[in-house]
Amino acid sequence: MASDQQKALLFGAAAAVRLILFTAFPSLPNLLAGRVEVSTPVTSFKRLQEGLFLYTHNVSPYDGGVYHQAPLLLPLFSLLPDPSYYPFATNLLYTALDLLAAQALVQIAESSQAVTPRLFKSSRKDLRWSSLAIAAGFLFNPLTVATCIARSTSAFTNLFILTAMAKASQGASITFVFALSLASYLAMHPILLFPPLLLLCYDVRVVKSKSTVDPLAFSVSHVLGLVVAAGGLLYMSALLTGSWEYLAATYGVRLLLPDLTPNVGLWWYYFTEMFDSFREFFLGVFWLHVASYMPGLTIRLRKQPLFVAVTLTGIFAVFTPYPSIADASLYLSLVTLFRHLFPLMRYSFLASATILYASFLGPAFYYLWIYAGSGNANFFYAITLVWSLGLSVVVGDSLYAALRDELDVERPELRGKEVTRI
Amino acid sequence: MLSFRSLIFFHALVACVLGSSDYAERLLLRPLPQSALLASFNFRSNESFTSFEQQNFRYFPRSLAQILQHAGTKELHLRFSLGRWDAESWGERPHNGAREGGTGVELWAWLDAENEQEAFSRWLTLTNTLSGLFCASLNFIDATKTIRPVMSFQPEGDHPNLSQLHLLHGTLPHEVVCTENLTPFLKLLPCKGKAGISSLLDGHKLFDASWQTMSIDVRPVCEASGECILEMEQTVDMVLDIDRSKRPRDNPIPRPLPIEEIECDTSKGYNAADTCYPLHGSAEPDFSLSQLFGRPIKGACPLTDSDGENANTVCINTPPERTVHANTTGPYVESRLVADTLRCYKLPTGADFDLSLPSQQMTTGLMLQPPSLFAARHINGHGQERGSIQTTIRNPTSSAVDFIYLESLPWFMKPYIHTLRARVSNSLENPITETFYKPAVDRHRGTHLELRMLIPASSTLTLTYDFEKAILRYTEYPPDANRGFDAAPAVIRLVSPGSADRKGVYIRTTSLLLPLPTPDFSMPYNVIILTSTVMALGFGNIFNLLVRRIVGADEVPGAGTGGIRGVIKGKVERLRALLGGVKKNT
Repeated sequence: MASDQQKALLFGAAAAVRLILFTAFPSLPNLLAGRVEVSTPVTSFKRLQEGLFLYTHNVSPYDGGVYHQAPLLLPLFSLLPDPSYYPFATNLLYTALDLLAAQALVQIAESSQAVTPRLFKSSRKDLRWSSLAIAAGFLFNPLTVATCIARSTSAFTNLFILTAMAKASQGASITFVFALSLASYLAMHPILLFPPLLLLCYDVRVVKSKSTVDPLAFSVSHVLGLVVAAGGLLYMSALLTGSWEYLAATYGVRLLLPDLTPNVGLWWYYFTEMFDSFREFFLGVFWLHVASYMPGLTIRLRKQPLFVAVTLTGIFAVFTPYPSIADASLYLSLVTLFRHLFPLMRYSFLASATILYASFLGPAFYYLWIYAGSGNANFFYAITLVWSLGLSVVVGDSLYAALRDELDVERPELRGKEVTRI
Repeated sequence: MLSFRSLIFFHALVACVLGSSDYAERLLLRPLPQSALLASFNFRSNESFTSFEQQNFRYFPRSLAQILQHAGTKELHLRFSLGRWDAESWGERPHNGAREGGTGVELWAWLDAENEQEAFSRWLTLTNTLSGLFCASLNFIDATKTIRPVMSFQPEGDHPNLSQLHLLHGTLPHEVVCTENLTPFLKLLPCKGKAGISSLLDGHKLFDASWQTMSIDVRPVCEASGECILEMEQTVDMVLDIDRSKRPRDNPIPRPLPIEEIECDTSKGYNAADTCYPLHGSAEPDFSLSQLFGRPIKGACPLTDSDGENANTVCINTPPERTVHANTTGPYVESRLVADTLRCYKLPTGADFDLSLPSQQMTTGLMLQPPSLFAARHINGHGQERGSIQTTIRNPTSSAVDFIYLESLPWFMKPYIHTLRARVSNSLENPITETFYKPAVDRHRGTHLELRMLIPASSTLTLTYDFEKAILRYTEYPPDANRGFDAAPAVIRLVSPGSADRKGVYIRTTSLLLPLPTPDFSMPYNVIILTSTVMALGFGNIFNLLVRRIVGADEVPGAGTGGIRGVIKGKVERLRALLGGVKKNT
């Protein structure tokens, strides 16, 4: 079939781009792995190598301030040959991660949950990109490529988030719950995606199954499944490292932000400059702020659960403690599923200009601060503000478009007319 | 050859001094190349265990003894150091490096405690009380600056219950050693700087030296019969620049000599009469103790032995042909030892004593013994994000050297131990034989790295590893944040060839200056406000959409058109109405 050939061609080209970049520029992976925009303290590949070194030399990697990543990554990478001497296996692994993530994205697009979920039929449902175009947007996004070349472990998190979405939109409960518990196990905050994806999974199951599905039994069984899967992963990690101290070194670090290495998010400079007596209070406020979007969006957009999950990934890319461009690439790729909303967006030029501005000036200003010494920390901080503002404009604007789209179905007489909010 | 023998003899002499009497002091002067002079002051006081436990102190200072008893300290080593020992030109270190510390303050002690927590609380007691005693910031040695070395230090004393003792080690590389540390140091001496060789110690000269180290070592020494004494050794080693020290204090700026007084190198051609290539090093410079130290020795300390080996309190290590005059009004005794290369003087009591050496053209010189290892440590790389440490260790001798390398790094310098590489210049073998590594924990513990390495004969070992610099909270930076942070020197202990006595052979590298990225200290409020604004914009925008209902613009009276356009239109209309109203009134 032509589409299969196209898909093979697309995936082959994406793999070729990555492997060529890996082999033609052998110093590029380490250069990117050292960039603060790509590698955060909780996803950096260099820190993973350090943790791996300590793990293979029988020193607990969690009894130190360098390694903050999940324990199950250690046995996985210890099976691979040492990437500083034989990087090919690792490169292949990361290329495969991206291809699998793109495959999950194709599945999401093919399920049509973005445009026609169970409770809602968009009036613009014919305006959409093909699943291959969406996958190409993910695979050839420079942010995704940079994440892959830097071998950041957020590639794993992105893969599991996309898989969870794909499986939820196919109604495959077990794989959905397992993929989401893996994503939450790796990065903690994807647990907030569970309620909208559970609704999505429920909607799909209701459509698919002939008999009625009891919502209570459905949600209880899935919550139990998530608890069992996540608990199993945590218990396996404890068995692997011999103690529970990894919890403080992985999730504790995400919660309490002891490592203030710069990143593209809003937290690091805020807590660098925060007065000591208020630090705990504002940590609580910031986490509450991140978590507060989930219930509001899930309730208001009950009819479009996939859109809620996608919007939440956008919020994670802005408001979590250690965001990187990997999170932004995930969100920007998922937004392309909602092509039908683009005509309704009002600030798309502003937002895209802001994001482009920040992504070009960010590295330059970081250089001025850290290397040239002709700028100070405020330069890079200002760029992270612009970046966050740009992404939050995209999030807010797409949300407006989604609501306007719903309104067009509810009240077709208002289509194309001026609206206001009361 | 002569000198080599003399040094060995001198060490033997010191060892024999240390064994016999309850209080002894000795000053050794040794001219070094490039008009430098090594002055080694050594004071030793003993107290028997029984009188120590009864708090009956004669020579041992009561203030320090009570601190040791209170903190359960069985063996103590405290160092205050400044400057760098130039091993290339000055040869082997005094006392084989066993009585010197890294730049700043270094403290290590064996504490008697049941468990690690108790040992650490006693360690804090010890550092806090010593901080008060020595007017030093020792109280800043907290958990992040404390390590528990496993291989690098061996106890010098005799401990019956070594398994119960805990070794803790702390450094303060940033500490500036100065006069306020010397005064309490002198107060611990029985003659308190009023008489004896300690009367030469003056803060102005001591801290003006090219290199100086003050040390205090307390250790128990037990005879074979089971009788134990507690021995305290205080040393001050300094290398003075003779020309610099001789400058008068009221006119310290060096001025060029008139050209007639300079000896010019006549083998070179000159194009004018006022140019000159000065000849260096042909004659040994003249100096006297009162010129170098600002005052003569105020007679012997009456507590030293009046005869025997220990009565010879001032010694000078020069070739036999060098003229040395002793200037004093009292009786003194000069004795020549070790093939005349060591001249020792018994000081008169109650009369000033001065040694003066005239400028002299020498035909023979003393050979300096080269050190067993040369070590240098640097930070490579640029920028405030990451870097790498490079340590170069050179073995000039013709035999392999087995040594232990200790690094204690601050927590905000995060080494990547998987990048640690050790290479020997002429062999492919990995020189590291044993590794002990304890990684740092942010704000709780520093990095502790110990390596046992073997360096083959006449080769160079290069040790490198990468590190990353953390960014700190703005309250954690010192007032001079952009100066950078100090990283403590690496300590090298030679295992073989080691030393004959229990002191060991040590080499310390210089400390490192580590520039960290700094935030803008002036704008915590601005950052809080700006970040909060961005978050409020995101939150407000999204929740505004979520909680409000969308209706047609024409369905709501007075709302006008939506969006910014509508708002502006509304404003313009209001303004127009206002202006119209004003016009009507006028």
